[in-house]
Amino acid sequence: MSTASTSVIGQSRVAKWAVTASVVFLCLWVLVPIYLLVANTFSSPAEVNGFPKRFWPSFDTESIEFFLNFHGVGSALWNSLLVASLTMILSISVGAPAGYALSRFEFRGKGTFRVLVLMTRAFPLPLLALPMAVMFIKVGLDDTVLGLAIVHTTLALPFAVLITYSLFSGIPVELEEAAWTLGCSRFQAFIKVIFPLVLPGIAASAIFAFVVSWNEVFAAAVLTIEHRTLPAFLLQSLDDAPLHLKFAGGAVLVIPALVFIFMVRKYLFAMWGIANR
Amino acid sequence: MKPFVRQASAALVAVSLGMIGNTAVAEDLLFWSKQGKPVEEAQAMRDQVLSGFGSAVDFQPNDGGPWLTRLQAELKAGSGKIGVLGALHGDYTSMPDDLVDLSDIDLGDVQMNAKFMELGKLGTSEQKYIPWMQATYVMAANKKALEHLPEGADIDALTYDQLIEWSKTMAEKTGSPKFGFPAGPKGLKHRFFQGYMYPSYTNSMVSKFRSAEAETAWNKFKELWSYTNPGSTGYSAMQEQLLTEEVWVVFDHTARLANAFNERPDDFIAFPAPAGPTGRGFMPVVVGVAIPKTAPDMDAAKKLVAYMANPATQIETLKALSFFPVVDAELPSDMPASVQLSGSAISKMAGSADANPGLLPVGLGKLGGQFNQVYVDTFERVVLGGEDVRKVLDEQAGALRAVMEEAGAPCWAPDPASEGPCPVE
Repeated sequence: MSTASTSVIGQSRVAKWAVTASVVFLCLWVLVPIYLLVANTFSSPAEVNGFPKRFWPSFDTESIEFFLNFHGVGSALWNSLLVASLTMILSISVGAPAGYALSRFEFRGKGTFRVLVLMTRAFPLPLLALPMAVMFIKVGLDDTVLGLAIVHTTLALPFAVLITYSLFSGIPVELEEAAWTLGCSRFQAFIKVIFPLVLPGIAASAIFAFVVSWNEVFAAAVLTIEHRTLPAFLLQSLDDAPLHLKFAGGAVLVIPALVFIFMVRKYLFAMWGIANR
Repeated sequence: MKPFVRQASAALVAVSLGMIGNTAVAEDLLFWSKQGKPVEEAQAMRDQVLSGFGSAVDFQPNDGGPWLTRLQAELKAGSGKIGVLGALHGDYTSMPDDLVDLSDIDLGDVQMNAKFMELGKLGTSEQKYIPWMQATYVMAANKKALEHLPEGADIDALTYDQLIEWSKTMAEKTGSPKFGFPAGPKGLKHRFFQGYMYPSYTNSMVSKFRSAEAETAWNKFKELWSYTNPGSTGYSAMQEQLLTEEVWVVFDHTARLANAFNERPDDFIAFPAPAGPTGRGFMPVVVGVAIPKTAPDMDAAKKLVAYMANPATQIETLKALSFFPVVDAELPSDMPASVQLSGSAISKMAGSADANPGLLPVGLGKLGGQFNQVYVDTFERVVLGGEDVRKVLDEQAGALRAVMEEAGAPCWAPDPASEGPCPVE
């Protein structure tokens, strides 16, 4: 920011200008890549490679049609949704109690436990995938939606635990105590008083779990065959594909996630609201 | 908000629970391939090549990492879903014990390339894989580049000196370097050094690694690099840069040039790799089909392997993947542009008087990756790092010798046969 201006009015004008500029910059930062993705998706192959570009694409649907007719895209999309939803449910049902326990109780090994939760992110998946796949094949979890969701839950769990931990910590324990004095059991107090307060935050951490699962490729590629998720199914194939198909495939991968985030955006904002308090 | 959340979670739970039990799907024969990854190639494999097999085949192309990890997991677990494997010769060399013997497959009257069949034994007495298709690396150019060709140069019989001069002229006339080289992380640069540069300058791939001739070769390459587009360190498949016209003249694998030829057949040409003092080095690539010991349906898998070697299948594969047949097959005239252009460049290259083929490394087992790394490291130190050529070659020769001795691999063409591990002189 500029410090050269002398008058207070001048300073506030500069500050205002700086805020506007950063807002515009951040919007462009997000919107330009999405614009390029969509514009190139709806351009013919020659236009994608050509230069200079037109601002409005020619709405050539050849590339996108290729994907709509591509064998298995539909079922892969469905599998992705299932795995991501299951991951959401599992990581919240395991992570939220853990977060509650961390914020409300003192117990031996609490510090170690918190570190251990983070440790699940310390090992790269390619390292873990082999022994995990062997085990999955032996116990029959191999190539199932549930098996993959369990792996993705492990990946999403640290976030679920830490986010819910800070959510519960942000709610005064006195509220719970008041409920107990008025005749609630511990469980009732949680359900009637605490839960409604943290619900938006929990929804947000569930969305986070959804995104973690949606973006994961390696485990999905190794652990599923017939129940492939969309990224495992498409991402590897896009790597060497020609440019116009890369754009169209990118759009196929990104748009469902964008739609989902857009649908649940108010819960995300709710989480930020709580975090700021 | 609350009712929405409750409804949504109820719906999710119901859907998810419904799915968990639902795993019984009719099992198709799983073709676990490292080739045919690009979407339109995978589509063509499914629609044109495998649809004629009779029963359903699930063709799944993968990156190297997941491909190998999944296969290893199935082998370790002792049971699996993979029926047939499709991969490069070099991928199989580390796993001969995990592949079933295919000697009893009846190929009928198919005339298979004998040299490739021998490679498929992986140094054992059993047929570990059946050759599926082959490819090689060629040069490609935008026709705009041709007017800058050095005087008297024949595009079908270039030398490395002429290539350097050509690149220099283009860089000077157009103002930017127009030669492109696949030196990115996924580029196949090591094959250029192993199969093209070394045989062309030293008539060797391994034993003369640190010779005076090799020093000349690297210095020549450094000269070429000074007229090479600096973006090359990010390039992987050169068809992309050809199409965007970022560069005009490139070296790459035929399958990685195919899109450019197919999309604008009139704008590009393919031509043989250049020649050096000891001939026109080039490297054929062999892809094979194999069956892992854990294949669930051995009979169906063997049938598919035999089907892949069928001349008609081979021609469909050529159309789909731009990899050439390994059996005697009459090529129809309506082939895609990439096949016609690369095909004629390959036959000119292989048929040239000074042809000097360098075979794929044989007998390195799982050390194949380390072998490639020696050449990649040398390139990075000499060309990108600007280190002294002599010093780097002497040091890297030690690494190469260690690889050869650990593998105990005898020499392969163009190095003369050796007793014991191939020596690095």
